Amino acid sequence: MPTLRTLSRVAESIYWMGRYLERAESTARVVAVNANLLMDLPAGASLGWRPLLDIAGAGDAFDARYAHTDERNVARFLTGDAANPSSIASSTARARDNARIVRGAMPRVAFQYINELYLFVREELAGQPSRSRRGAALDGVARRVQQIEGFLSSAMLHDEKWQFLRLGNHLERADMMTRIVDSLARHPNAGGGFPPFEQVIWRSALQSLYAMQSYLFSTQGQVERGPVLQFLFANEAFPRSYAGCLRSLRFGLRHLPRNVAPARVCERIARRLKAARPQRLDGTALHDFIDDCQIQLNALHEAISITYFHFEPAAPPRGPGEAPA
Amino acid sequence: MPIDWKEYNAAGVWDELIAPTGRARPGAGPLRKMLARLSDVELGERQAAANLAIRAMGITFSVYNDESPNAIDREWPFDIIPRLVQRREWEAIERGLKQRVAALNLFIDDIYHEQRVLRDGVVPRAYIEKSREFRPQCVGVDTPNGIWSHVCGSDLVRDHDGAVYVLEDNLRVPSGVSYMLENREVMKRVFPELFQHLAIHPVDDYPRQLSRCLAAAAPDGVETPRIAVLTPGIHNSAYFEHSYLAQTMAVDLVEGRDLVVGDDDCVYLRTIEGLVRLHVLYRRVDDLFLDPETFNEHSLLGAPGLMRAWRAGNVALANAPGCGVADDKVIYTYVPDLIRYYLSEAPLLPNVRSHRCVEKSERDYVLDNLDTLVVKPANESGGYGMLIGPQATKRERERFRRRILANPRNYMAQPMLTLSTAPTWTDGRLEPRHLDLRPFVLSGHERYVTMGGLTRVALRKGSTVVNSSQGGGSKDTWVVDSTATAPRARR
Repeated sequence: MPTLRTLSRVAESIYWMGRYLERAESTARVVAVNANLLMDLPAGASLGWRPLLDIAGAGDAFDARYAHTDERNVARFLTGDAANPSSIASSTARARDNARIVRGAMPRVAFQYINELYLFVREELAGQPSRSRRGAALDGVARRVQQIEGFLSSAMLHDEKWQFLRLGNHLERADMMTRIVDSLARHPNAGGGFPPFEQVIWRSALQSLYAMQSYLFSTQGQVERGPVLQFLFANEAFPRSYAGCLRSLRFGLRHLPRNVAPARVCERIARRLKAARPQRLDGTALHDFIDDCQIQLNALHEAISITYFHFEPAAPPRGPGEAPA
Repeated sequence: MPIDWKEYNAAGVWDELIAPTGRARPGAGPLRKMLARLSDVELGERQAAANLAIRAMGITFSVYNDESPNAIDREWPFDIIPRLVQRREWEAIERGLKQRVAALNLFIDDIYHEQRVLRDGVVPRAYIEKSREFRPQCVGVDTPNGIWSHVCGSDLVRDHDGAVYVLEDNLRVPSGVSYMLENREVMKRVFPELFQHLAIHPVDDYPRQLSRCLAAAAPDGVETPRIAVLTPGIHNSAYFEHSYLAQTMAVDLVEGRDLVVGDDDCVYLRTIEGLVRLHVLYRRVDDLFLDPETFNEHSLLGAPGLMRAWRAGNVALANAPGCGVADDKVIYTYVPDLIRYYLSEAPLLPNVRSHRCVEKSERDYVLDNLDTLVVKPANESGGYGMLIGPQATKRERERFRRRILANPRNYMAQPMLTLSTAPTWTDGRLEPRHLDLRPFVLSGHERYVTMGGLTRVALRKGSTVVNSSQGGGSKDTWVVDSTATAPRARR
């Protein structure tokens, strides 16, 4: 059978579908975990809800729409507010838009699952749900995304389209991971503060990424800044770590044609990670390193985009005749 | 409360399920009996379950109006009471449709070649020369197997006397088949028990048949053609269907910007690896938007050069450009003549009696009877631009009088048919609602007709407008073996 090469437009949509699904799930986790974190920190030791806006990179957009940075407003902005392009409502709507475009490339029921996620968010996170209802809804979002990704993993043909979905997933996952760590690391209690609070903060980083058990199993140690950073950045065996995502990205690119440019960016990211040893970096240095990580991930996105989605293909042969297969 | 069929009153109309005596039509007995076993509450629950399934499955269509710049995505309106057709009757209809589509394809091919039918005076030349759908760019083009309309959707209606008529043939880009297929899926979820007890013919062979039909249109010498469905995009009213068909045939769903026509007059797809040759395009974009080099120069829906690739025989377009010349409400009136002319056969399916406004005596009759007739423009679809005389206001009738006089060639008129009805779930009970039936006919190496078709139902009481854009819904259509389900013969 000849390989049916994927349309560039379809590849792009499926990639973005992967990114938006992942973004919806991460955002749901971050909001839920932050609500828990605040319960464990005394009022004076907490930075409240502002850091969540930093994670989303949406502080200015928030300030333009809301007067007070309180739980009610931030949670609403990040979950059900369709005017915020990075909210869960926007992410699921855009995941669904892209799914409509690539509906034909997936098992038929996949669109139904994504559509149900979208309808669920529209019903459960619109308006001002109570704290407990919001918690259940955020849990519902995360579970539905996991169901979709699990289903696609077990039922979709693992072809090029699948690789683009995974590239989107992992790029977004790596990016969100660095943002979560960045926002927590800036907390005054995050490094060498009052130890119980330090633990609470890093525990919440691990929890946002479902990493607590994996961390404890692989380190057999306490929840402390250094080992947590080491684990979240460098432990390849953990699929949501930076190194784990990077491994998946490299694996995915190996299955795609013409992968030289994006693969080169991956190699560069790997070299920089190895050289940086994030567990040893202090506040500013860590922040700079994370900044660089995000720049690199963006470069990878650009490379994928230019290589596969937006390029001018070589002209077809002149005169009658078959094009290269 | 169980359904009381005595209260069900379809007086003066042919009902598809219930005869005037209150008994079931042949073949419909078991269905009537099973429905009678359900209470109105249970039926309401089944309808709600169907609506929920349609919402979750994302079965939608889009409607446009003047108030909103973007189309609104609506869930597909569906009624849970199926419409039944007896197998024996269906086989006769199937033969009639195949005959019709054979003649129509021969007609289109003739129009773009020798025009024998005009020379022999069967159809007046003026009709073709003035037709908005005649495309000079298509003259002399040879299509594989002489097929122009690969997919045809003909609308059938049953009048009060029980006779089935062809109301129109949609030869350009007929839509609705995906809803026919999805209606069946929804019904299986909602009424699993009915499918166990009745011999209902499956409909799900369509995507495979369509794929074969398209492959048959591929340019000579291409063994495994690459096929794609061309959609205007996500905001088109039939996007759901385009995506559905691409998915079920396992081919690409493409937009104009995915296509490149090279200097070699071949069509290519933009893939992640570069350009890949495309052989068959099932286009769901109107002729005039297909190719800005040839038609509407501002169109972004097609691809520049598509027509030159098609004319060179390097890509098949299905349906072929220009086939709308036969999809014209005035040409429709000649179809029985075309069947006799091209096939030397008597037409198996009757047309609705029609009056051509271009002929003076007919026009005078139409103008004198505007209050009883339905007037249709030659080239509109979706129920737009029609006058339904008995329901129109005096002002509307006057407006049509002026339009007819200004451009008589563009109009034909038919008597108002009393479309048949079937029981439909409305406000907690079953009431008769008018319906039609759109079967789909595929023409490739051989002809294929869907088993039944898409039943469209006018959900508003008394209305006969079944278009989904204008308050219509749909029903699942069951072709049933009455031999397997008929009551035992009397001894």
